Amino acid sequence: MSTAEKPTLAVKPGQKGVDPRGPRFGAGITAVILLGLIAYALSRDPSTGTTTGSDLTPDGADVTWSSLSLLSVGERVALPSTLVLALLVALFAWGAFAGIQRHPYGLLFKALVRPRLGPPSELEDPVPPTFAQGIGFVITLVGLVLHVAGVPFALVTAASFAFIAAFLNSVFGYCLGCQIYLLLVRAGILGRKSAVTQ
Amino acid sequence: MTPLAVIAILVGIIALATALGLIWKAQNGRVRTSRGDETIRGVDVAAELGATATLLQFSSEVCAPCVSTHRVLDSLAAETAGVAHVEVDIVKHPDLVARFNILQTPTTLVLDNRGVVRARIGGAARPDSVRQELARIAAA
Repeated sequence: MSTAEKPTLAVKPGQKGVDPRGPRFGAGITAVILLGLIAYALSRDPSTGTTTGSDLTPDGADVTWSSLSLLSVGERVALPSTLVLALLVALFAWGAFAGIQRHPYGLLFKALVRPRLGPPSELEDPVPPTFAQGIGFVITLVGLVLHVAGVPFALVTAASFAFIAAFLNSVFGYCLGCQIYLLLVRAGILGRKSAVTQ
Repeated sequence: MTPLAVIAILVGIIALATALGLIWKAQNGRVRTSRGDETIRGVDVAAELGATATLLQFSSEVCAPCVSTHRVLDSLAAETAGVAHVEVDIVKHPDLVARFNILQTPTTLVLDNRGVVRARIGGAARPDSVRQELARIAAA
């Protein structure tokens, strides 16, 4: 005997499910890029005060952790770290607003990885991984804005949080988006209306 | 920062993420026995409770593991006489979500024949442990 208040929350009719391994593959790529970005930023980015003074000031003065603020906004935008983080923000935006099915990593997965794997045991609703992309978008966007505004360590901090989320998703199949969605509903920020439109 | 310090920090971040993942995995799907001082009536969830036990699953639209848990609990309810599977959306039942302090989806409450909450399962339900819990309730 079984009674469900509403039909299963699985893939809705007329909506194509996604292979759950696709988003996890994409999260793996994202995690590797983020780790590379963190390594780079710690080694030679003014946001962590690790660039040598001569890189920044002509007189070779010692550069402290606030060295990012010595740069103009234009110089901060042109930093390699800023450009890589902006690329990640754009990729998350792609997944969040165009849907996980249209994400470039998804196409890469379909072309290169899926032919080498067996068929998936089940297809999953694209809504949770798409929502998760939105979470990644917000975290990296906040980091990017603060970084360009000259806040030291904002980039490394945001990249570390995003890395942990992407790593947990890719390696363990943990769904941070599911968790945050519940907390947003409980806080009254998301409700029934947005649950339908999300 | 020296390359060695950078590598140490990277290893630290990866270790932290791995530890979090292992903790989550160990907790996920574990059956916790409840004190038995909470009761849910059929009208609370707009469904009929099972004659022996009810598996009350809290789900949301944004929840990949809810789907697999739905399937597991549905087939358990089908194979066990008197056991009902009731799935509720957290958006539609904020009262229950607050009352039981639901912090993750899926969360499954195992109710006995009188609707008393006997156990709670956070995360994706494992068929074997749910079966065990149902047997314990049926024997009580």
